[in-house]
Amino acid sequence: MVAYGSVFDNNEKVNIVRRVVLGLDAMGVKDVFFMPDYFGIGVRAVEDLEVSLKANFLDMKIENTQDDSARAADILDKLGVACIITLGGDGTNRVVAKTCAETPLLPISTGTNNVFPSMVEGTLAGMAAGVAAMNSSYRPDFIKQVPRLVLKYGPEIVDIALIDVVVSKLGFIASRAVWDISTLQEIFLSKAEPGNIGFSSIGGNISDLPPADGKGVHIVIGPGQHEVKAPIAPGLIRSVPIKSYRLFEPGEKIPLLHTPAMIALDGERERIEGKNTHITIEIDVKGPWVIDIPRALQQAAKQRLFINPNHLRR
Amino acid sequence: MMDLSQEKLLEMYKKMVTIREFEQSLSEAVSGGTLPGFVHLGIGQEAIHVGVAYALRPTDWVSSTHRDHGMLIARGADIKRMRAEIFGKVTGYCKGKGGSMHLAVYDKGAPGCNGILGPSQTINNGIALALKKRGQGDVAVVLFGDGAAHRGEFHEALNLAACWKLPALAICVNNQYAISVCFDDACAIEDIAARSSGYGIPGLVVDGNDVMAVYEAISETVKSIREGKGPALLELKTRRFKGHFEGDPQSYKTPEEVAEEMKNDPIPIFAKQLLEQEITTEEKLKAIEEDVKKELQEAIEFTEKSEYPSLEEIYTDLVYEERRAV
Repeated sequence: MVAYGSVFDNNEKVNIVRRVVLGLDAMGVKDVFFMPDYFGIGVRAVEDLEVSLKANFLDMKIENTQDDSARAADILDKLGVACIITLGGDGTNRVVAKTCAETPLLPISTGTNNVFPSMVEGTLAGMAAGVAAMNSSYRPDFIKQVPRLVLKYGPEIVDIALIDVVVSKLGFIASRAVWDISTLQEIFLSKAEPGNIGFSSIGGNISDLPPADGKGVHIVIGPGQHEVKAPIAPGLIRSVPIKSYRLFEPGEKIPLLHTPAMIALDGERERIEGKNTHITIEIDVKGPWVIDIPRALQQAAKQRLFINPNHLRR
Repeated sequence: MMDLSQEKLLEMYKKMVTIREFEQSLSEAVSGGTLPGFVHLGIGQEAIHVGVAYALRPTDWVSSTHRDHGMLIARGADIKRMRAEIFGKVTGYCKGKGGSMHLAVYDKGAPGCNGILGPSQTINNGIALALKKRGQGDVAVVLFGDGAAHRGEFHEALNLAACWKLPALAICVNNQYAISVCFDDACAIEDIAARSSGYGIPGLVVDGNDVMAVYEAISETVKSIREGKGPALLELKTRRFKGHFEGDPQSYKTPEEVAEEMKNDPIPIFAKQLLEQEITTEEKLKAIEEDVKKELQEAIEFTEKSEYPSLEEIYTDLVYEERRAV
């Protein structure tokens, strides 16, 4: 209601998955495992599809909550799959990243308000996942481990975010979204690029801020140093007052400036921290392993994986 | 956003408890044989009634279904006159002639619950058109269920509201059952709100069991509608804890499903939020609950002491023309 984002409905997700499956099949993948869901995205996607691969469905109870994705990622990791293809936004990938361990992710964006997943054609995503499966005996260059923001009570990790941790004075989790600049107190970023949408763009649009490159960005909101114009959501461009900002190194623990506080992780209000909280935020390089789709396809071309070996030149 | 004082938040909690206790007492009256006829209870949906009501202004209008006693209470209707009406007493809001399914409280912007599903959306367009012509920024809100969202009126009303940019807010209270038909068996898509794109208007899915989520979503939506940006469709996902009507054994639900529904009771959810944020204490919440019980007892006594309408009342409050003698 406050932004103009687009979200793909389930029928479009079925179409995307169908194209992913065709891409996987073309690369010779033999088995695909689907997380079940109420709408039956996987079931509908493979229905009447002429492919050689076998479609398997995870035997798990679904509750229609984000926990389904977390449990599915855990099962898939234990099955030893070559990669996990996700359809969703930053929030979905954050949940999957908590349980997927070392299994690489191939994140496909299904909305216009995301930084972590790529807006990519499903066919290419499927082919890139196929390339990952063909190179799964080692860790190829096109799969990189990304940084993550870590929330800790002392040494204990209590939660993570892949892109942003936003601290606000909002009192309730309510509709989860964060859009009102006047409620913001501070922002922690693992990625700060002008090309991004969302809170990541605030860091990216501060012109003299060097690229984070494994370091975190900490921004304190309030009148002071700058006022930065940033697209905090699709179609929602705001001037954000910046009191201060700096990079922080991996391992540096930063406590909250104000408590009690509402903490949003990757765009969704998730935690309320009380007056006496000891929570700290830091960045590390132990985030999920992520497949770079263009680089995977480039490597496949170099490896001549797209050349038909049975074709004889006359 | 979230401009609610501590006093207001506790008032919202009290309203939710009042609705729950009020409807629970109706359920007991039906099973005890003192309340005849069909009664449809919204127990489990209190967050919707209160969240919607508190996000609106007194001059907005709200049309609702046969399951919306709670909506009227949340808008400030007197529970004495509500109960008297449901029991057919002359002290009721409609002199006992409307009953549970046609309760109207005009001074609270409630033109009436409607036992027929679907038409309330088209009627709401008429109210919205009047409000638009009046030009004071008021909004006409209509609540309906997931079953009604499959009827033609839903589409007709949304299309016309969008064409005329009416200040209308359509709220689908999706409790997953149209009488006994499960939503998953009757709907080709996951979210009714997705249908908004067919009419070029905003659509949003909200957790209907979280009163603050409902309040926030409605507040932001009506802000845009008041600015003249046209109608919107919100879908509030919830569950009803009771059957379609009192006496419905809900044989279409498994015991596991019923148990699962109860885990998301909106009243304990809100109480927990208020306690976690130190907005109140257990003792204060208990005191509110005791107050509600006393007020309900007064409403029960008021209803018992009230008379039924006289026979002459049959011919009053009617819209008719004298038939000419042939």
